[in-house]
Formats: sequence, structure tokens, C-alpha cells
Amino acid sequence: MPLSTLLNLFGRSPFVALQSHMDAVSLCVHKLKDLCEALEKKDYALLEQIANEISSLEHTADVIKNDLRNHLPKSLILPIGRENLLEILTIQDRIADCAEDMAITCTLKRLEILPIFSGVFKLFLHKNIETFDKAEAVIRELHELIESSFGGIEAEDVRTMINEVAYHEHEVDLIQRQLLKEFFLAGEQMNHVSFYQWISLFESIGSISNLSENLAYRVRMTLEVQ
Amino acid sequence: MDTVLLVVILLTGFYMAWNIGANDVANAMGTSVGSGALTLRQAVLVAAILEFSGAFFFGSHVSKTMQSGIINPDLFLSDPKILVYGMLASLASAGIWLQMASYFGWPVSTTHSIVGAIVGFGLAVGGVHAIYWGNVGYIVSTWIFSPILGGIIAYYIFTFIRKKILYTLNPFESACKVTPFIVFFLVAVLTSILVFEGFRNVQFTISNTEKGFVVFIAGLVGAVISHFLLRRMSSLQTVKVEAQFSPEVVESLQKAKKHLEKVKGKTTGELQYKVDLITQEVTNLSTFLDHQREQISHTHGEYSKVERIFGYLQIISACMMAFAHGANDVANAIGPLSAAVEILTTGIFAIEAPIPLWALALGGTGIVIGLATWGWRVMDTIGKKITELTPSRGFAAEFGAAATIVLASRFGMPVSTTHTLVGAVLGVGLARGLGAVNLNTTRDILISWLVTVPIGALLAIILFYPIHLIFG
Repeated sequence: MPLSTLLNLFGRSPFVALQSHMDAVSLCVHKLKDLCEALEKKDYALLEQIANEISSLEHTADVIKNDLRNHLPKSLILPIGRENLLEILTIQDRIADCAEDMAITCTLKRLEILPIFSGVFKLFLHKNIETFDKAEAVIRELHELIESSFGGIEAEDVRTMINEVAYHEHEVDLIQRQLLKEFFLAGEQMNHVSFYQWISLFESIGSISNLSENLAYRVRMTLEVQ
Repeated sequence: MDTVLLVVILLTGFYMAWNIGANDVANAMGTSVGSGALTLRQAVLVAAILEFSGAFFFGSHVSKTMQSGIINPDLFLSDPKILVYGMLASLASAGIWLQMASYFGWPVSTTHSIVGAIVGFGLAVGGVHAIYWGNVGYIVSTWIFSPILGGIIAYYIFTFIRKKILYTLNPFESACKVTPFIVFFLVAVLTSILVFEGFRNVQFTISNTEKGFVVFIAGLVGAVISHFLLRRMSSLQTVKVEAQFSPEVVESLQKAKKHLEKVKGKTTGELQYKVDLITQEVTNLSTFLDHQREQISHTHGEYSKVERIFGYLQIISACMMAFAHGANDVANAIGPLSAAVEILTTGIFAIEAPIPLWALALGGTGIVIGLATWGWRVMDTIGKKITELTPSRGFAAEFGAAATIVLASRFGMPVSTTHTLVGAVLGVGLARGLGAVNLNTTRDILISWLVTVPIGALLAIILFYPIHLIFG
């Protein structure tokens, strides 16, 4: 019996690729901070450059995503459902898309942060990134979860982490309400185009935390806890 | 001429045994090396001892089947030498086919080749009636059922481990509680194989109640020993090695690196060079600390302690696996060999005669030599590549496979060790134990079943006539 029989039995674990996809997405999302700084400083050349960087990072994530999808034959036995895994991947990818959307929206027309809502806007962005970080930590735990076979104390830990993501998402909602209030107050100081640009920017940013929460709940569905 | 024939038969049989030791043992034991339960040296030693004892004490059942369970030896009473040539042709055909399969990397089983070869030779020489089709049907059905049974046992063992250990709030403590029971069960199974069946061919008879008593006591002793070992282990575990630095240290270093890089960007010439050197040093330091922290958090996870316990349990299951393998696979070489040798030396073939001990010893020795000369290398390769099987998974898979193979050996059924192990690993995969298990292997195995038996048969027929011509 040649040794390849047993070796062929062990397929390429999709969780490693899932993790590296998440790393790429994380780079995208974290670039948004730099983007915000550039926006504040009104350094539009830098803004353009960062937006391009985010765009290319998003493409890297896409490549990993496609590679993972193509190497996930039906014949693999996985510890979590295939559809769960693909859904997790899709949500991760949509987060990267949101980051890219925000970056692109910033570059479409020169944008100015008005002092009246600049503080709460930065808070909003950072809270979104924080929510994403919490979700990323959940994905990082997947590897440990395989070891505990998706149950036990490890799963309890992950469940706590997932609740944290949900709590952060709720906080983001509260901040968003505050942000919109202040933003509408400043409505008279800008033209319609900028107004629309800001609104779509908020939407892209807000999606990051919403998707992070979805992502966390998807992982929650794979756990064996009460 | 008979002496030459005898030497050729012994050499071919020995070559088969060598082949089994060189290639198949690695599949049986490689998982233990891969999970880190045994080092390569230990694995080779354990395999050598237990393969030999499996072959010697327990190998006669399956050998008997190979000898007189597939073809009817009565048909050769008029010219028993035909049977000798046939058995030699079968051995040679299986040897050639296996060599080819190894070369191309096909998952071909020794067992299937030799059974196919014997059937082929029987068909060609004795006709359709020479074959015990009922027995052959049983054997083929065990080829299908042994991977399935191995898978089912492994599935339930791993589910048990999951529910009773991994899913509890304190896995290490639960493992300490459950392990003595597992050890009791394991040792009881192992000793009952030995006591009830194994010593038959060395004239060692005690009554059934006494045997039951021996099994119970052995299990109990094992459980008590494991209990004390675990107590020692858990007291050792309380001394935790804490990281010598807090996570902030790592973060501050990262910050320092970032600032240094800023400085580097704004300077030129010698100053930049010096800053660059410092940056590199800081980078090295921070990666070193990162690495150390990872190691500490990794080795002190609750689950890694559990895995350490299973590392010890896996030594027992690996022993069982080696024993089972020796018991079942030695027949592939010894069954045809001993039949041929018996006819050559005594002139007749007595169906009731037991397999001679020297033949079993020869097979066992052949396997051990194959392991020592080539098999350890294969084991090393497999061990390095199978890292997904942690001790708890490896234990479940090995136990499922070994129990199935021992059972099959008891009923004299020649099954494929590797295929059974593949089934067991799939069972663990289905119980959410592994990252990704590739079902495609089952397709390859299915194809190898369909191909190996006819080809083995054909080769045996082709080889039979020249052998008959040369020696007849």
C-alpha cells in the first residue's frame, strides 16, 4: 500500500484560507483610519493613494476568496456545514467591499468634514472598526474551535465574543443616530451633492458593523452550546 | 529440484512479508508518529515487537483461510505439487502487482492482491468448482464492511470523547476522570484477544472463567496505574509557566519600530544606516517575543493538556493497531507459503493441520526486517505529513480500525488494514473532528478493489504455467 493513500485523505483545510482572507479584509478596513486622517488634513493626493491601496487590497481578498471557493469540492468532509463556510466567506468579502466603497466615495468629489460633526464621525468610524476587530477575533478562534470540536469552554468563550460583537454593533447604532442628528443640523452648510456623498459614506461605514454582527452570528450557528 | 523450489518459495514468501513490513506498517503506525504520541524510534520499536507478536500469536486464523479457505485443496490430492506451484505463482503475482502499484502510487492492498491471485490460480487449474465461492463472498463483503465498521466505531469513540471530555467545562479534569475507564476497556480488549484466542497455538489452556478473571484483573491494573499516573500529571500541571512579559511590551516594541521607521524615512547617509540597524534589531526582538508568547499560550491551553493524556492513550491504541496488523497481514505471506512448504516436505496437504509456528515466526521476522530496512523511512514521511491528527483524533481512528481488524482476524477474514484505517479517519471527520477530510480517497480505493482482484488473478494464471514448466 503506497503511502499516498493516507496522505491524500487529508484535504487542504479551508480554515487557513478563510483566515488569510480575513487578514486581507482586515488590512482593508484598518486603512480606513488613515483615509479618515487624510480627509481631515484635506490631503487629497494622499486620500487618492490610500483609496487605491484599499482597492488593491480588496482585490487580493477577492483572489483568496475565489481560490478558496474553487478548492472546496463537495467531497470534503468539514467540521462545519459547507454552506456556513461559504456564507462566512461571503460576509467577510462584503466587509472588504464596504471598505472599498467608502474609500471610493471619498475620492469621487472633494469632501470636507465640517467641525460640527467631525468628532462624532471619527467616533462612528472607529467604533465600526472596533466591531469588525471583535468579529475578526471570532474568526481567529475557528482554529481553536476545530481542536475542541466546536463545543466546550472554547465554544463558550467564542459565544461571549459573539455577544460582544453584537453589543458593539448596538453601540454603533446609537452613535449613528447621534451622527445623523448632528449631520442634518449641518445640512444647510453644504450642497446637495456633498450631502448625498456623506450619506452614502455613512451607509458604507455602518454596513461594516452590521456585517460583522452577521458574521459573528454565522459562526454562532456552528457552535454546539446550549 | 525440490530444494530449489523450497528456497524459491521461502524467498518469495519472505519477500512478501518484507514488503508488508516496508510499506503497510507505516500506514498502521504513521498516525501515531504524526500526532507526536510516539517518536519515530519508539514507533519502530513498538511496531517491531507487536507486529511480531500479532503475527506469531494471532496470525494463524487468517493464514488458515488463505491456505484452505479459498480453494478446495482436496482437488489437488492426485498431484499436490500443482498446489505448490499455484501458491508460488500467487505469491509472485501479488508481489509483482504490489511493486507496480507502489511505483504508480495506487492504493492497492496486499490482502486483495493475494486473495485475487489465489482465486485466479484456482480457477485456471481446478475450474469453477475448486473455489469456495461462499467463503470468497464473505471475504469480499468484509472488505466492504471493515472500513464501514472501522468508521462507525471511530465515529462513536470520538463522539464519546467529545461529549465526555472536550465539551465539558473543565476538559482536563474530565479527561482525568474518564481516562481510567478508557484504559480499562482498552486493556481488557487487548488481553481478551490474547487470552481467549492468542495462546491457542502455544498450548496454554485455562478455563473460561479464569480467562475472564485474568482479563478483568488486567483491565483493573491498567486503570489503577493510569489513575495514579494522571494524578501525578495533574499535580505537575498546576505549576504554570507564565509569560515573562505582558502583551503591552510587544505592543510598545511595535510602536518603537514604527517610529524608528519614520526616522529612517527622514534621514540620509550614515545616520539612516545606523537607524536601520536599530530597526532591524527591534524587529528581531519583537518577532522573538511574539513567537515566545504564542508558544506559551499554545502549550498551556486546556486542550493541549487533554491531548497530552491522549498521547499516552494513543500509545496503547498504536500497540493494538500494530498487533492487529501483524495478526491479519502476516497471512498474506504465510498462508500460501506454509501450504506450499508443507506439501513439499511431507508430500500431502492436511487441511486440519495447524499453521506451523516457524512459518508464523518467519512471517513476523520478515515484517520486522522490512520495517527496519525500509518501513521506518516511510513512517517518517507519513508522520511528518499527517499533522492534522491530534492524539485524541488519532486515538479514535486507531482504536476503530484496530478493533475492526482484530475482529476480522478472529473470524479468519483477510481485510485491508489501510482501507479500514481510512474508513476510521473518515468516521472521525464525520464526527466534526478534523479540518478537512477528502472523500475522493474512497473513490480511489473502490477502483483499486475492482482492478486488483482480476489483475492479481490474471497475473497468477500467467505465472503459474512457466513455474509449472520449470519445476514440473
